[in-house]
Amino acid sequence: MKFIQKMFDSKRKHFVKGGRFEKFYPLFEAFETFFFIPGNVTKNDAHVRDSLDLKRLMSLVIVALIPPLFFGIYNSGYQSNLASGLPVSFIAVFTKVLQIVLPIIIVSYGVGFAWEVLFASIRKHNISEGFLVTGLLFPLTLPPTIPLWQVALGISFGVIFGKEIFGGTGRNFLNPALTGRAFLFFAYPMKMTGDTVWTVVSGVNSQGVDTFSGATPLAVSAVQGSSVFIESLLSKAGFTLPKLFYGLYPGSIGGTSTFMCLLGALVLVFTGIASYRIMIGGILGVLAAAYPGYIVSLVSGNSTVPMLSLPPFYHLVMGGFAFGITYMATDPVSAPGMNVSKWIYGFAIGVLTVLIRIFNPAFPEGIMLAILFMNLFSPLLDHFEIHFRLKKRVPNV
Amino acid sequence: MITIRTRKGYDINIAGRPSTDLETLEKPARVALLPERIPFVKPRLKVKVDDPVKVGSPVFEDKRNSQLVFLSPGGGRIADIDYGPRRVIKEIVIELDQDEDYETFPVLNETQLEGIERETLVQMLTAGGLWPLFRELPFRNIPNLQSLPPSIILSLGSREPFQPVPEVYLKDKVDLFEFGIKILNKLTEALFISASPDNNFVPDRLNTPVTHTCEGVYPADDPGVLLYTIKKHPDENRSWYINGQDVLLLAMLFKTGKYPVDRTVVLGGSLARGKKHLQTRMGVPLNHITKGRADDTGAARHIVGGIFKGYTGSKDSYMGFYETSLALIPEGDEKEFFGFARPGFNKPSRSRTFLSFLNKSSMPMDCNCHGEQRACINCGFCAEVCPVDILPQFTYKSILADEIEEALNHGLLDCVECGLCTYVCPSKIELRNILKETKKAYFLEQL
Repeated sequence: MKFIQKMFDSKRKHFVKGGRFEKFYPLFEAFETFFFIPGNVTKNDAHVRDSLDLKRLMSLVIVALIPPLFFGIYNSGYQSNLASGLPVSFIAVFTKVLQIVLPIIIVSYGVGFAWEVLFASIRKHNISEGFLVTGLLFPLTLPPTIPLWQVALGISFGVIFGKEIFGGTGRNFLNPALTGRAFLFFAYPMKMTGDTVWTVVSGVNSQGVDTFSGATPLAVSAVQGSSVFIESLLSKAGFTLPKLFYGLYPGSIGGTSTFMCLLGALVLVFTGIASYRIMIGGILGVLAAAYPGYIVSLVSGNSTVPMLSLPPFYHLVMGGFAFGITYMATDPVSAPGMNVSKWIYGFAIGVLTVLIRIFNPAFPEGIMLAILFMNLFSPLLDHFEIHFRLKKRVPNV
Repeated sequence: MITIRTRKGYDINIAGRPSTDLETLEKPARVALLPERIPFVKPRLKVKVDDPVKVGSPVFEDKRNSQLVFLSPGGGRIADIDYGPRRVIKEIVIELDQDEDYETFPVLNETQLEGIERETLVQMLTAGGLWPLFRELPFRNIPNLQSLPPSIILSLGSREPFQPVPEVYLKDKVDLFEFGIKILNKLTEALFISASPDNNFVPDRLNTPVTHTCEGVYPADDPGVLLYTIKKHPDENRSWYINGQDVLLLAMLFKTGKYPVDRTVVLGGSLARGKKHLQTRMGVPLNHITKGRADDTGAARHIVGGIFKGYTGSKDSYMGFYETSLALIPEGDEKEFFGFARPGFNKPSRSRTFLSFLNKSSMPMDCNCHGEQRACINCGFCAEVCPVDILPQFTYKSILADEIEEALNHGLLDCVECGLCTYVCPSKIELRNILKETKKAYFLEQL
């Protein structure tokens, strides 16, 4: 580590004021502070500071992302080999994964980081660690079949229009990763929805392909005009509740496994990084929105909207809800900062997700739009809560 | 007795807290007055270098109010007047004589005190140089001689890790303290005395009842926190407060007729060897306190007046008029390899992001920022610790946007300047400093 220190010290002169690469000081700073916590000391009171910094905070989010990340990587390879009729042993799946998911993550990080460096250099501020999370969240929300150029386009849109044009980390009102995904969703719907995008089918061996449908559980549920109960329809397609919970089914790369997201959520809540209020509020919102329709459809026995007959717990384990409410909705910058607002925000995300899933035939999944929509409302929620809170204060002047 | 519970706040578990042992220091060769450290005072010197002074001779006065005088904490000769940038007076150093002369002040006994007019008492305290011991909330300035306080808060807590505890400085001085309380009672109708529940010394020994017990972590014992919790009306904002130890000075002035210079100070911090209470006097040199009681003063930051609110003194400077605490904390200006990725069993943190949440022992801390300054991500940690329910993450943004009215609505003036928001901020934003400077600017605008 002495020699790394020496390396940085010897190259520093090129990056400081007057050096050849003065403009790229943020890049140098980002790499140096990655290796070393800088020796800067407090100038003002308080003289001592907490050991927690943003780098630690963001790297813990990455740690919390490890379960869905690794499971998602395995799952995309597994589904691909399954559908292509290739062996599904661990090794075979693993080699497959290197071809599918790794390039997506590398492109997402590489392109996004380039934009970060560009903006930081022009604005002369340091690169914020928030991107470490955005750059990993974004690929996990994508289908594995996504072309790499679309990954690059999506992360560029997310970083530039979701964050940087508003002033960078801390000033964005939308979640950058979801902004990027929403852009791809509307710009290239053929590559983001439908039954064929969720699994990479490769090779000429078509043995397994005949029986392969590729539909996600949400797509199965959204079938219109069916009079049977969705639950049996789902289990006929192989989507039992435990399978949905553990997540070994086609879907976006990181979003399928509710169980893995639960592990991540435990890490986030225990360390105090993400708000449990938003997560629990979201779950309550889903149940509150899904139960009335479920009860009505039970009583009437038949419904024009078949998805109403889906037991509400299915909504929690299907699609990207668990991933979204754990990692996306709890982004502190775009979520409200006040406690009651967080409950409302989470609850509304849950309700909107279910409403979009049930009543909107164009969008089988609603969590992305629900979070983005509520992102827009979080300043307003904060505004009202602060307003009521300040009324209780004894004024100073 | 009313129990006040402060739910927010935070007790840092820092190593190097002082013991309750008391050692009496020998007489220093020099003492000093530090006008720079007295808030909102524009000093006008009344002495020159080489002038002889007695204990209690006027050394400087406030340009805005010439009645407000600051007296010499020693008898001898003015050895040096040290100016800083823009001719701010930093230090007025007095070389002490072997036998110091004392100015004489009128003596008061209990019955005389009973009969005295409030106005006369104020005049006597001002002439005796002790008026500046009173401070007025919310700006913590020295109160006007004419103003009547809605209440005076006397805080006997010591939640700050390096402040003298009442059981040491009040030992054998309870009678004197009671006399001091009588003086305070002459100045106000509403005297609030607050103590911590975990220290039985104060309520047990005092005849005067303690009015408020302040439960909770740092800074639950701060007078500003008490006022915030009990106030019902805006009129109460301008309450005064005084430190427990300073009440002894008021009493001594009238008992002895001499300007009192006794101080019980605390030496603490992980780099100090003799971590204890020291009986000494006002304005002693820092190296007089650390001599023989610190291993390596070169690497230590000398923090005068507490690790949250104090200032960095140089090794050769002096204790101020108000300060009773000296902490020697390592500067910590080394880089740490892969610091953010370590398990951090010994890294103190309020959050549970390091393994240190399993480590209940007190940990040495240094003055490293432990990270670079970043944009606010609205994590809300600062609001979780703010004892007076300010939302620093929103308030500081309104300050940066020059929306002073909004910042005031947020309760900016209730800020007790405890420094916890700055301590916990993962983006390392100087929240306390931003709030404090805004308060200061607002106060100066009103003068």
